[in-house]
Order: sequence, then structure tokens, then C-alpha cells
Amino acid sequence: MQDSGLQIIAVALDADEKAVVEWATKQTLTFPVLIDKFHIVADLYGLVNVPAAIWIDENDKIVRPADGTPGSDLFRSFSHVDSEVHHNLLRSWVLDNSRDLDDAQVRDFQLPPTQDLQDARLHRRIAIALRERGDARDEIGSRKHLARAEELAPFDWTIRRGNMPLAGVDPFGDEFFKFVGEWSQAGRPGYKLGTGRETKPKAI
Amino acid sequence: MVAVLVVKADGGVSSVDVFQRSGRVDLASTDFEEATGWVLKPEGLCKGDICYPVRNVDELSDGVNIDLAVFAKLTNQSLLFDREYEVAALGELAPARAKSMSTLNAPDFRLPDIHGKQVSFSDFNRRKRLLLAWSSW
Repeated sequence: MQDSGLQIIAVALDADEKAVVEWATKQTLTFPVLIDKFHIVADLYGLVNVPAAIWIDENDKIVRPADGTPGSDLFRSFSHVDSEVHHNLLRSWVLDNSRDLDDAQVRDFQLPPTQDLQDARLHRRIAIALRERGDARDEIGSRKHLARAEELAPFDWTIRRGNMPLAGVDPFGDEFFKFVGEWSQAGRPGYKLGTGRETKPKAI
Repeated sequence: MVAVLVVKADGGVSSVDVFQRSGRVDLASTDFEEATGWVLKPEGLCKGDICYPVRNVDELSDGVNIDLAVFAKLTNQSLLFDREYEVAALGELAPARAKSMSTLNAPDFRLPDIHGKQVSFSDFNRRKRLLLAWSSW
């Protein structure tokens, strides 16, 4: 769809720059890949998990807010999201200017943060800065701030799951499945039931 | 010495050296604009068209340094400061973030690409854009 004037901009919410560069240089990509180690874009646009897509029009207006939008159906049983639905909606917008959500709905489906979530984001930024400063003592401080961020935002994936590799935890291991259990019990906060927007997301 | 991370006017991030002095976090006045995107003018603290009045300039700055906690308070931002590890981070308060999100204006940001080059979201303006967030985790 880039031929039709769509500009794709990929942002990796990732403190591990090496992993991003390794992945991106293996692909033949026709769009920029930016590295957001401090999760600035998550803060600015209200992202609680990846992958997510946001549509922005020619006048810098957000016409579709952050939504879980996989490129394939690999995790469909879990995410309840059909990748083809988003692809079709995107195609209609790019080619015919047709939107599936009006402005009021875009606002309705955004996830404005709580103060706890904003504080969690600052704790995470401090943790990354300490990690980069990098002596053994700083690593202890970094872990302390990662833990505090998780207490403040227990259902935010960019924090809970994003922290796992930083804390030496397997992001597909026991701790991850424990988190998924807690998050499901809490009613899947921050998630929508698929790209069809059947329900409004529950606040984080 | 403390590293501070600030979301600047253009959505960039800066890690700058600041000084810890009797429980305060001070940033050199000469680094202030570059690090924060804000300017201290006679009419107050300004960023673009927005200015916040400063009633007591002496409380904010001794002419050499800017007190970051006072700056954060005057401009409605939050400052998180870890005295033990000497790191601070400045960020947007929840109501301000909620308000800016509800305008539906896409905020600008500036990040390095995989080659280390700084790229701004606004470099791609005047066209339809798909912002794709992903990660390695």
C-alpha cells in the first residue's frame, strides 16, 4: 500500500537496540525502523502492547487510535484479532478515504493514562538510564525501578512483558503465563475484542 | 551528577548532566533550552506559543541553574528523582496527557533509526501514515 501514498513508520519499543538492529537488517524493509528505548511513543499515543498500529492522516490527525493489529494470525487464538480485518480497513482508508471510526469513536477507544501508569513510565525510563550507566550497583537500582513500574502498572504489557528480558526473565516462560492469567482474570484491561471494536477497552 | 531524561518540545529525549544540591536537582541554565525545549523569558516559562507565568523567579533559578522540581511544578509536569542512585526523569502528568490525546493531533517525536540517524515523525507529514509499534520481546 506504500505505492498508494501510505508511509509506514515502524517504532520498536525496545531497550535492546542490538536485537532490533539484528532483526531489521535481516529484512528488506522499505520503511524506517526507529528505536524507542524509553517508550516515548507508548506515552504519547497511549500504547499498552505491541504489535499496535495507529493511523494518522495528511493533516496530522489521528484517525484510528492504538489497536492490537498483528501482521499475521500467528497469535490469533490469544489476541482474538483477525489480521485480515485490519488489512481490509486500512486498504479502504488508504485507497478510498473511508474510515471505520469517527472522531468521537477514536476518542472513546483511546486509553488515556492513569497517574500510576505515567509514574510507571518514568520509573521504567530511570531503570533504562541506570542500566545504560551500567555498573553493578546501577543494575540493582535498575531492577528496583523496573519492579516499581510493574507494581504501578500491573496490566500494561509494555511494562510487564517489556520488562521481562531486562530482568532476565523469559518473555514466554512461567512468569509470562502467570501475568496473562492475572490479566485475563482482571478482564483483559487495555485490550479490545478484536479489530472490529465490539467493546470499549477496559481502563488499565 | 544525575542524568535526566526529558521529552522535549519535538518529542525528543535528552539525557543531560544535572547537579544534586541539598536535595534539589539543578540543571545549568545554559543547558536548559536544549534539554527541555523550554525557555525562561520575562513573561514566564515558554514552549512554542505556551507560556506559564513565573511569580517568583528566584525560586526557579539563581541565574546559573534551574531547579527542576520548581520547573516541573510550574509547567505541570512530574519529576521523579532517585536520590540514592542519582537519576531523575521528567514526564507528562496524566491529565495533561489525556487532554493532548483527546485533541486527536498526532504528537511529533524524534527517535534514532537502526543506523543511528535521528528521524522525526514530522519528516513524513502531509501524507497518510501508519505508525507500527513492535518489539523484540
